[in-house]
Amino acid sequence: MYNFIGYGIAKLGVGIGLGLIGFGAMNGMSRQPEAISKLQVAMLIAMAFVELVFLLTLFLGKGLIGG
Amino acid sequence: MNPNEIFSLALASSEAGKEGAEHHHSLLAVFVYFAFVLAIVFTLLSVAKKGFSPRGFKGFISQCSEQLYLFIENMCVGTIGAHGRKYIPFIITFWLVIFFSNVVALFFPVAPTADLSFNLGMALCSIGYVQYEGMKANGVFGHLKHFAGPKLGLAMIPITLMIFMIEVISEVMKNLSLTLRLFGNIDGGHQAAEAMSKLAGGAAGVHWIPAGTLLVPVKFLTCVVQAMIFCLLTCVYLSLVTHHEEEGAHAH
Repeated sequence: MYNFIGYGIAKLGVGIGLGLIGFGAMNGMSRQPEAISKLQVAMLIAMAFVELVFLLTLFLGKGLIGG
Repeated sequence: MNPNEIFSLALASSEAGKEGAEHHHSLLAVFVYFAFVLAIVFTLLSVAKKGFSPRGFKGFISQCSEQLYLFIENMCVGTIGAHGRKYIPFIITFWLVIFFSNVVALFFPVAPTADLSFNLGMALCSIGYVQYEGMKANGVFGHLKHFAGPKLGLAMIPITLMIFMIEVISEVMKNLSLTLRLFGNIDGGHQAAEAMSKLAGGAAGVHWIPAGTLLVPVKFLTCVVQAMIFCLLTCVYLSLVTHHEEEGAHAH
């Protein structure tokens, strides 16, 4: 039961993080459309790292790693 | 056994059930994949037997392959630098393996990349190759020195030691992060589809209706992005250990 609350809190933080990354990337892209390809790559890498935090939370919560 | 029956067996294997039965069903699903792969390979061979006509080279498959090559070349050269061209075969292999394994996940409830061992194997290949390239570029001791961080005074030896240990741990954790990212995204897609199907079934008053199929477009996006991210991160790791070669053409 408590782990579901934990997932919710974790997803809240990750959602804020992903939103900030998207916000920053969108701003940059609209200001400099010729840099879109570079910005997209950097954005995807940053998103992958933020997403990983949630996935780690999920696996630790499920006990997939800890047994 | 007709294809429908095989498919329903493969479908059943995703649901939590008895250990033995599940194992048997996933083995069956693997055979189904083998059949698909063989069918595709034989079709390609029968097409190729007709010879290299110019029509064949303008075909859909060859154009897709060329686009893929350009995409990966762009990624390698853009991320690693001018010497990144020699890593294209390595990266393109990863991309193809991951992408097609992910596409399997669209249609079947089991997939190679929704399996921790497969992903860990690929991550070990990737990071192992990065270590090998780092040792080739900087020498064994140069590569190890890379872990120790900046040069500090003699009094700072404990700090240097600590940085070294942390860097080694982070190098090991790179394996775990590559594994878990891919596994979490693909298996998460499966679980979300399953949960949606159960939810819709509950609303309709039956056990299960395939409403999770509605997630296929999102899952396809995940397939492409995850394959790209795995390759991109491998490129970034490669560029981190080999970027001494270029003579400050563009400082990072």
